[in-house]
Parts: sequence; C-alpha cells; structure tokens
Amino acid sequence: MESSQDAVAGAGTGEHAVEDRRARLRRFWKSDFVRSAPYWGIPLLLMGLAVYGGIIWNILISLTDYQGFLERPDYGNLDLEMYRQALSDSAVHLTARNTFVLLVAFTSVSLVLGLFLAVLLDRDIREKSKVQTIYLLPMALSFVVTAQFWLWMYNYNDGLVNTVIGLFGLGPYNWIGNPSLVLGAVIFALIWQFSGYTMVVFLAGLQSISNDQFEAARVDGASIFKTYWRVIIPQLKSSSVSAAVVLMIFALKIFTFLYAMFGTYRPPKGTDVLATLMVREAFQLQKWAYSASIATILLAMSLLVIAPYLYYQYREGAL
Amino acid sequence: MAPDSSARHGPITRRKVLGTSAGLVVAGLAGCSSANDDGNGNGNGDGTPNDVPLEVLHAWTGGDGADAINKLTSMFKDEYPDLQTDFRPIGGTGNVNLDSVVARRLANRDPPAAWQAWPGENLTQYGGLLRNITDVWEDNDYTDTMNEMAAELCRLNDEYRAIPLVSHRMNNLFYNVHVFEEAGVDPSSVDSPSALIDAFDTIQTETDADPMTHAMSSTWPTLQLVFQNFLGMDGGYDAYTDFIEGNGDEDHLVEALELTKEMLQNYINDDASTISFTEGNSEMMKGNAGCIQQGNWAYGMYRAEDSGVEYQEDWDWMAYPGTEDMYMLHIDGFTFARDTDTPVKQKTWAEFLGTKDAQVEFGNRKGAIPLRTDVDTSRLTPFLEMTADDFNSVDQFPPTIAHGLALAPEPMDAAMSAIGNNFMGPYDVEAAASALLDAAAMQG
Repeated sequence: MESSQDAVAGAGTGEHAVEDRRARLRRFWKSDFVRSAPYWGIPLLLMGLAVYGGIIWNILISLTDYQGFLERPDYGNLDLEMYRQALSDSAVHLTARNTFVLLVAFTSVSLVLGLFLAVLLDRDIREKSKVQTIYLLPMALSFVVTAQFWLWMYNYNDGLVNTVIGLFGLGPYNWIGNPSLVLGAVIFALIWQFSGYTMVVFLAGLQSISNDQFEAARVDGASIFKTYWRVIIPQLKSSSVSAAVVLMIFALKIFTFLYAMFGTYRPPKGTDVLATLMVREAFQLQKWAYSASIATILLAMSLLVIAPYLYYQYREGAL
Repeated sequence: MAPDSSARHGPITRRKVLGTSAGLVVAGLAGCSSANDDGNGNGNGDGTPNDVPLEVLHAWTGGDGADAINKLTSMFKDEYPDLQTDFRPIGGTGNVNLDSVVARRLANRDPPAAWQAWPGENLTQYGGLLRNITDVWEDNDYTDTMNEMAAELCRLNDEYRAIPLVSHRMNNLFYNVHVFEEAGVDPSSVDSPSALIDAFDTIQTETDADPMTHAMSSTWPTLQLVFQNFLGMDGGYDAYTDFIEGNGDEDHLVEALELTKEMLQNYINDDASTISFTEGNSEMMKGNAGCIQQGNWAYGMYRAEDSGVEYQEDWDWMAYPGTEDMYMLHIDGFTFARDTDTPVKQKTWAEFLGTKDAQVEFGNRKGAIPLRTDVDTSRLTPFLEMTADDFNSVDQFPPTIAHGLALAPEPMDAAMSAIGNNFMGPYDVEAAASALLDAAAMQG
C-alpha cells in the first residue's frame, strides 16, 4: 500500500483522485457500518420486505379494483373507489366501532391493571421471593385454549362467571348471546390473558429503581401512595411505552381469539371487528381490493390510537 | 488501519462464519421461490399419467368424516396402486378454512387438482377455472344413475364440473323418545311448525327437559331453522323456489321468522349462544332436551359405539314437521381445477367418486346417503336405508341455503349477515326479513 502510493505521488491529479477514491472505498469496506451489515442488514431486509413491503403492496392492491380469480390486479388504473365504498358501508362502521372500543378498552385497562398488580407484587418481592411467573402463565396459553375455556366460563347455565356472580345475587347474564355484553366479555377475557404480561414489564421497571428512593421519600415524610404516584411511577415511562405497543399488537390478534371461540369468520354481531370482516370479504367473496382497503383502515386506526400516546412519550423523552 | 493486524487475515473468524451463513440463508430463501413452479405438463396430451401426484384437498379432519375419507382414499389406492396421490385435510367447520385455502391458491395461480366443494350456486365463484368433466359423466352413465337434481347442480355453464359424493338430509327433527313419551307427544301428530310449537309447550309443562336444543355460537344453524319453518308452512316448497330465485314472498318469510322467533325465545336451551351443535346434540341424547333440528350429520354421534343411545329406542327421526314430502338437499362433492398438470388423474378420481362402492362405503361411515339412485339401499345402515328410500321416493328437493347449493357466495354471505345482525337475539323479524329478501335478490 505504501509503495503504490509512493509510485503515484508524482503522477497527475486524475490518478491521484482514483487512488483517493480507492482508499476511501477501502476505508468504507472496513468501516463498522459495512462490517456490521450482516447483523442488522439481513433482519432489516427481511423485516422491510415482509412487513413494510407487505403494507405497501396491500395499499397498492387497495387502489385497484381487483376481485375474483380470473383477472390480475390492474396497477395501471389506481383510484380511491374502494375507500369510498368502505367508508359508506355500514358493516365497516359497525366493525370499526367495535375495533376501536376493543383497542382502547383492552390496552388501557390492561396497562392500569398491570401497573396495579406490579406495585402490589413489588411491595412483596422487595422482602420475599419471586412469584410473578404465576401471573404470566395465562399469556403462555394459546388462544385456542383460552377461547374455548372462556366460552365454557361464560356458559349461561353452568359457566363459572354466572355461578360466581350468582353468589352475590346477580345475574345470570347471557354474556355471549347479548349483543351489548359480548364485546365486554371478550375484552375481559383478553385482559385476563395479558395483564400478567403488562405486570411483568412494569415489575422489571420497578425493580430497577433503587431502594434509596423509597427511603428518601420516607425520610421526607411521603406516604406510600404519594411515593409511588410522585416518585416511582413517573420513572416507568419507557416500560409503559413498550407494554402499550405490545398490547396493541395483541389487540390486533383478536381475530385468532374470535375464530377459536366461534369457529367461523363471522363472530356475533357485537364482536365483529375489522379483521373478521376483512377475512370474509377476501377469502369468502374474493373482493381482494376491497378487503385490502379495510386492512389499510385497520392499520390507520391502530396508528391513530397509539400515535397521541407515543408522541406524548416522545416529548417527555421516554422514547 | 495498518495492514498488520494478523487477526483480520486469520483463516476463519467468527464474523466470517456468521456472515457467510447469513448469506447462505438469504440465498436459500431466494431459492425457495422458484423451487415449486416447474410445471412442465409433459405426457398429458396422449393420456399417459405423469409423475405429478394428484392433489386432493378436503375438510374431513376428525371423527366420522376422517374415518370416511380414510376408507375412501384406501379404496382408491387399492384400485389404482400406481397412481401417485397427495390427500390433504384442511380443518374447520362448514368448509370455511378449506374454502379460504382454495381461494388463496386459485388467486396465486397454483390451484389444487381437486377439492371438496358444495355444488350448485357455490360453484359460480370458480367460474372459468373448473375442468369440464362431462366425458366422465357420460362415459360412466352417471348422467342417468345420479339423482337428477344433484346432476343438475353439478353443471356450470352447460358442462359438468363437479361430481357428487354423498348427501346429508337437511329437513330432520331428531328427538329423544323418552322425553316425547314422558310428555305424551305423539310425533306423527306433529305435522306443521305451529303443531311443533304446541308440542314444545307440552314438553315444557310436562317434563324438565328443554323442548328443543339449538346452537347459536355460529349463525348457520339459525339460518337453517328459519328455512325449515319456511318450508314446513303451507305452500312452503313453491314459496322457497320463488325465494331462492329472488322473488320471495315477504309475508311467508315474516311468518316463518315469527315462528322461529317464538321457538328461540321460549323453547330452547338458555346457553344456546355458547354451544356448538355437537354439544346441543349430546344434551338431546342425554334427555336434557326433547329434540334438535340438524342436518343428518347429527346421526354420526348417535351411531358412535359409546353413544349410549339406540335408534328408535332412545332417539328417533321425523322429517321436519310440514316437510314430509320433501328431501332438503345438501351435497358433498368434489370439483376440479382446469389448469393443472394432472388432467388424467383428476378424471380417474372423478370416475371413482361416482362408483357405487365409493358412495356407499363413504356414506355409511359419514352418516350420509349415496346420490346414485341405483344402489342397493340394504347395503346402508338401517337409518340411512330409510333415508335413502325416502330420497328415492320423494320428488321435491329444495336445495339448502346454509350449505351453498341455493345461493352463490355473495348472497349467501348476505343471508348469513341478515340472520347474524338481526336474528341472534334480540329478534328483529322485519329487519331480518327485508335483509334476507335483499340477499336473495342479489342472486339475479
């Protein structure tokens, strides 16, 4: 390397520039960026193709009039016709409302409940042994299992739910058969399954906070409630961001739960969500473009629900 | 960056290994996409089978269905030992999963050779993609030996494109003999839907059992029940024919919905919304319910060895009240994709499905009857023999709505929505009626 540079030292500036470029290229190939490429590049490529590529392709299909089996989608003629149809379709309104209620109620209740459990458990664990896995177990169960046993739990005659509330002189209620109760019943089942996860995330956050802060607060005369409210919980922002994002993703997986529960793509009216409507439009009626537009609406809606929260956390510096 | 760091020129570093293997993974993934599209179609023109196996998709994954298809496939393999096959079960009730797999494969231009499908209007969704098997029908005289209505339903655009295997009767009322006796209800006196409601009333006052068990965790059993009442009323058959042609009589439909509403509100099990028809059926078998309206796949549970019930001693059958002269038709059959590399094998499979042996052996296991009219019905189990004799003697065959024969997928989906949105409790008769009429009108 040294000698070759010596040799060209006296030559024209053109050759010098070539050498310079070579050296830069060599530096580039040796740089951390390139050398680390196999580690981040391949996942990025796979992710980009599978997730973002999929999203873009889906949006593209939703702009065509693609339906049936006989013709390929015509990408030369794109318009928003499908979205116009979807926005005036009463089935989309109904399922969008159910999806929205599900996203908001499930995510927020799971967060609050998980935090509450984590605080309770944290008080205990600081002195005693670790028991949080018990609360995490429901998440390890498949939807196929939990959906079936919640169906049994909600049985009108001999389900556990009606039996228990019967002890307090309430009910019995037709949890699944009553359109105004069924969504709540499904959300409750999901909360049962995932609040343990939220709890573990918060618990990890709590345990990274040192005991000194509790002691300092106590010395200053703060009550336990005040200690958590003013000192501890504000430090859990990044935990709550990651928990909220994961919960949103689980809420979108409601399709699996409903399918396992009812065995068809058509759950009861009260729990019909955008995801089930989308599958029916696509795989029973072959309205590919229309169902792609429903999928885009679902994506936009999930982003809309989570966006204000993410933005708030971003401004607070937790993201 | 002096070139003296020998570590970087070492024979094999950890990074190199990782980098190379990651590269190989990418190359492997890229290779996958082109691995399975080498259809060459050799040797088809002259009728010699090639090495591509015959791919058959079906939804019989468990219980009596699995027994039946296993028997069928082993018979086929015995008869054609050199023919390569690939039978693939795809689970899920009412063919929902199977249909979506088929839809995905057809959209991706990778059709299965044959798949289980309901004939009739259900086939219209595959229009232009199905193989013409008229020569199989004609060469084997299936045109004469199959039930006429079934044969007609296997035609699309003037050619035969499906083959029927077996039929389940839809207009059944299975009842628990002990419950009916205890209540003092004589089944032969129940000859109309309103007489059935009277019988329900007697059962409710005289026994502890629910008069009828009904499953509402999915929509189709209710859609089915509405049209049993529709058919059972006076003039039901003609009204039904008009309805599925899109000219339904609203008054007739409203009355059928009113009857159904009365049944569902007062005479069924309280936990209907959380149970499936198999759970409901076992309540009837245990005597906790008087009867159940279902396709005769329900019979599969009674005949199981450990069922604990005997035909005519514990359970018995009657045609749904008012439909004694009808056989409400359901058909399980197969249809065939046009663009495949296995045209000869597809026709061999079609021919086999139409044989008496295939239909009888499959039917006996599945609890369904053959669609051939020339089989010796004594080869069937006693209950099926009775059903088959009935089948061969009636001349009204209203095709089922809930199982794809009468309505194409889009109107059928709309009919399901009509029931699902308005008639799963609370029961809105007017809204359900107009939505059902709109659904049938889409058929046009």
